[in-house]
Order: sequence, then structure tokens, then C-alpha cells
Amino acid sequence: MKFKEKLKTDKFLITAELFPPKGTDVSSFLNRAAGLKSLDAVNVTDNQRASMRAGSLAMSRLLLEAGIEPVMQLAARDKNRIALQSELLSANVLGIENVLIISGDHPNAGEYAGTKTVYDLDTLQLIKTARLLETGADLAGKKLHGAPKFCVGAVVNPSAEPNDLQALMFEKKAAAGAEFFQTQTIFDAQDFKTFFDKVKRLKIKVLPGITLIKSVKFMQFLQKLPGVNIPQKIQARINSASDPLAEGIKICSETIKDLRSFADGVHIMAIGMEEYIPEIIKGSEETGIRN
Amino acid sequence: MIITSKKTSEEILESVSGADTLYIVSCGSCASKCGTGDQKAVSELKEFLEKNGKTVLGNIELDSACDMRLAKKDLLKNENFLKADAVITLSCGAGSQSIAKVSEKIIIPALNSEYVGSTERIGVYKKFCGICGECILIETQGICPRTRCPKSLVNGPCGGFVNGKCETDQTKDCTWVLIYEKLKKNGKLDKFLNQYIPPKQNKEY
Ligand code: SF4
Ligand code: SF4
Repeated sequence: MKFKEKLKTDKFLITAELFPPKGTDVSSFLNRAAGLKSLDAVNVTDNQRASMRAGSLAMSRLLLEAGIEPVMQLAARDKNRIALQSELLSANVLGIENVLIISGDHPNAGEYAGTKTVYDLDTLQLIKTARLLETGADLAGKKLHGAPKFCVGAVVNPSAEPNDLQALMFEKKAAAGAEFFQTQTIFDAQDFKTFFDKVKRLKIKVLPGITLIKSVKFMQFLQKLPGVNIPQKIQARINSASDPLAEGIKICSETIKDLRSFADGVHIMAIGMEEYIPEIIKGSEETGIRN
Repeated sequence: MIITSKKTSEEILESVSGADTLYIVSCGSCASKCGTGDQKAVSELKEFLEKNGKTVLGNIELDSACDMRLAKKDLLKNENFLKADAVITLSCGAGSQSIAKVSEKIIIPALNSEYVGSTERIGVYKKFCGICGECILIETQGICPRTRCPKSLVNGPCGGFVNGKCETDQTKDCTWVLIYEKLKKNGKLDKFLNQYIPPKQNKEY
């Protein structure tokens, strides 16, 4: 069953995220992907954190060839409306239907701080554009020879304050045509529930994002990213762990276990440590993991 | 007004390297008001050029350098202007180009044009408007997301704001949080929820 159809079922959906290589060597990407075949879909990031990498489209296609259903992320940041629509058509031509529409991290903190940002369309406009293409027309009002079919996703940040503004955006994006949501990272299932309760009446699947904290150093890096707030409790656990990676895996498993009781699924961001995802999922299925 | 900033001395020296005699044209409007083209700036530039072996034949302040009619009237009969090897302008890019358009002179701009600024107090300017040609302030509570949101998101925020601050700069308010607070205060959240601003028709060229 395709991801689009699974969204209509009660299945607890599990997705993860891979980032394309910086360069042309795709071996590590494919190795990391190999362990993710049992997942419902795997996202491919689009020059995340405004770094320059191989494209999401090409890497999504490689996932498809490896038997994994990809979610191509598409950032409004780098392309004008011609290039964005063209990318969407190209994705469909190559068999990619799932697209996650994002604004994209602003370049000012990244390796291309001086680049010209585009933002010709905003996220709402881009979601609507994907939906428009499906009707067989483009933004210029021209007829398409062969209309694409998408499963369109969008992003919200359940931890951003004011939280109600994110809930409003959820609703706006849903009205514009988003069929599912993946979220920025959450560290506490109960905190996410507070947000989820505000939007669940809309009956659109939300997969909260969780991040594998693999080391103390990585946790410090994460903490500095915009919108990331790691609870003291978790920081303490990582800081005092004899094996921080094992502790990070355990925390992820516990969070997923909590999510299983009320959420639609989970989106796992292991950031280079994707080989531990099966272990994380397995841990979330076991009973009595809590100590 | 148009906010301008001074080019570095090295840059100016490099640009005037082929000229021995120079004439300075400053603008009495924006550049003068923001301190990059006022009398003090003119004297400093003159002194700097002379110290570096150039002859400054004179200077003039145009009421508005961007008015080609004034540039024509005030400059084309000015002997020193006509005689100088090159003309240095203390004005915005629109001013420099107006002067270039009405005369045959080599124009060397000494300022960079930054943005249209609203003056909070002397020396403190806010970039509120990007003169986009399709004003949406009526929809956004008088706060412009095209210009003040670094991602120019017109239909609502990204997910990057933290406690009301922008993901790109923790010292700056997220423009959309500012708009949201006003929408809330004015009872306009429902309107915002149902509002959709379509892609802008860009008419830059
Ligand atoms: S929308 Fe913003 S940039 Fe455009 S005219 Fe209005 S204030 Fe200026
Ligand atoms: S945090 Fe707010 S102001 Fe900053 S880019 Fe996002 S929406 Fe725009």
C-alpha cells in the first residue's frame, strides 16, 4: 500500500529522513537507506540548513529504485515559480508522488550566508501550486499535457511559541491542500499532545519529528538550532549516561512508545545514525521499557 | 528615505585612480539627511581626496539628485563640473544615474544604496518597506511581511520562531508573531485563517 493510502488507515506510520551527500558519492546514502525498507516512507531533505548538496529529486529516485517510498522535500527558498513547478513535474515523471513543502532554513546562518534567497512563492502558495498542477494547469494558466498526482505534506512546529499561531498555520496549510504533516523535532510526547489536541479535529495525519541525540556534543549543537528546546530531564539523562548514544536510542524508543498511545505516527530524524532506526523502533514496541 | 552608506576609502581611491581632477555632487535630500551626503561628508571626502593627491575643482549640493531636471539645470552650465576628469556622487544610485543620464561625465558613486528606511531617531532606521508594487499592509495589520520576514512569507509564519523571535536572528521579533498579536487584539484571527494572498506579480523589469 502506498503512503498516500496508508494515510487513510489507522496504521501508526513511521517515516525517517535522509540527507543527500555533499558530492557525488551516494554509497553512504544508500547504506543508510538500506535499513529503512520497512518504514512507511523516507524523506529526502532539500539542501537542509541551506547547505549545498545533491538534489532531493535525484536521491528520492534512488530510494524508489531501492524499494523505498520517498518523500521529496521541496524548499521554497531556492527556486522561483518556474523551477518549483518544473521540479514538481519532474518528480512525478520519475515516479515520485510524495512531496513535503517547506519554506527552508534561511541561509543567513549557513555556509551560503550571502546567497540570494528566492522565496518567490511562500509555503501556502506552493502547496496550492502543487494542487493546481494536479488539475492539469499551471500558474500561468497553461494546460499541461499529462497532469501529475501528488501526496502533499507540510510542516508545523508544535513547540514554537505562540503555539496557537502554529495551530492556525496547520489549519491554513490543511485548507490549502496539505494531506499530512511532519513536524519539527519534539522531545516530549506529552508536550506534543497539547498541540495535537488543538488540531486533531481536522483529521489530518500528523507525524511528530523526533531526533536521535547521539552524543553530548551533538546535543549542544542541537540546542543552538532555531526552535529547538531540549527539556532539562533529557539533557540530564544524556549528560550522565555512560553511553550517550544508547541513552539517546532509549529516549527515542520511549517517546515513540508514548506516541503510539495517541499519535498518528512518528518521523525519525537520526541525522547520520540511521542504522539505529530499526533498534529504536524495536525498542518502542517492547513493553516495560520504562525504568 | 533612501538609506545610503559610505563606500570604504580603499574602494573610492581605486575608483578615482584614473582621474586627477574631480568634482563632488551631493544630494540635499536623503543622503544629506542620513549623514552620508551632508556638508560634513562632503568636506571629509574633499580632504581625503586632496590628501591623496587629487585636485577637487569644487562641489555642489543638488536639492534632489534623483531629479534629472535639477541635475540638468544645476550641472550642465557649471564649468568645474564640466572640466573635471570625473564626478564623485554622494547620493543614492538613482541620483548617481540621473546625473550620468543628463551629462557625459564619468560618475563615481561614493555611497552604497541600502534600503528605504523609516527613521526611528537620527542614525536608527528601520527597513519596513521593500517598495514591492503590490501593497498588502491592509491584510497584515500594517506590518509588512514581504520586507520584514526574511523569508517574505505573506500567508503566515514558518516554524522557526522561538518565543516570538525570528529564526534568523534571536534579537529580532518574528514579523508574523507581531502580526499575529495585532490580529488577535483586533479580533481578526478568523479573517486571517480564511485569507489567502496569491503569488505576487513581479514587475521589476
Ligand atoms: S507590501 Fe510591503 S514592500 Fe510592498 S509596498 Fe506594502 S509595505 Fe512596501
Ligand atoms: S521566524 Fe518569523 S520573521 Fe523569521 S523567517 Fe520565520 S516567519 Fe519570517
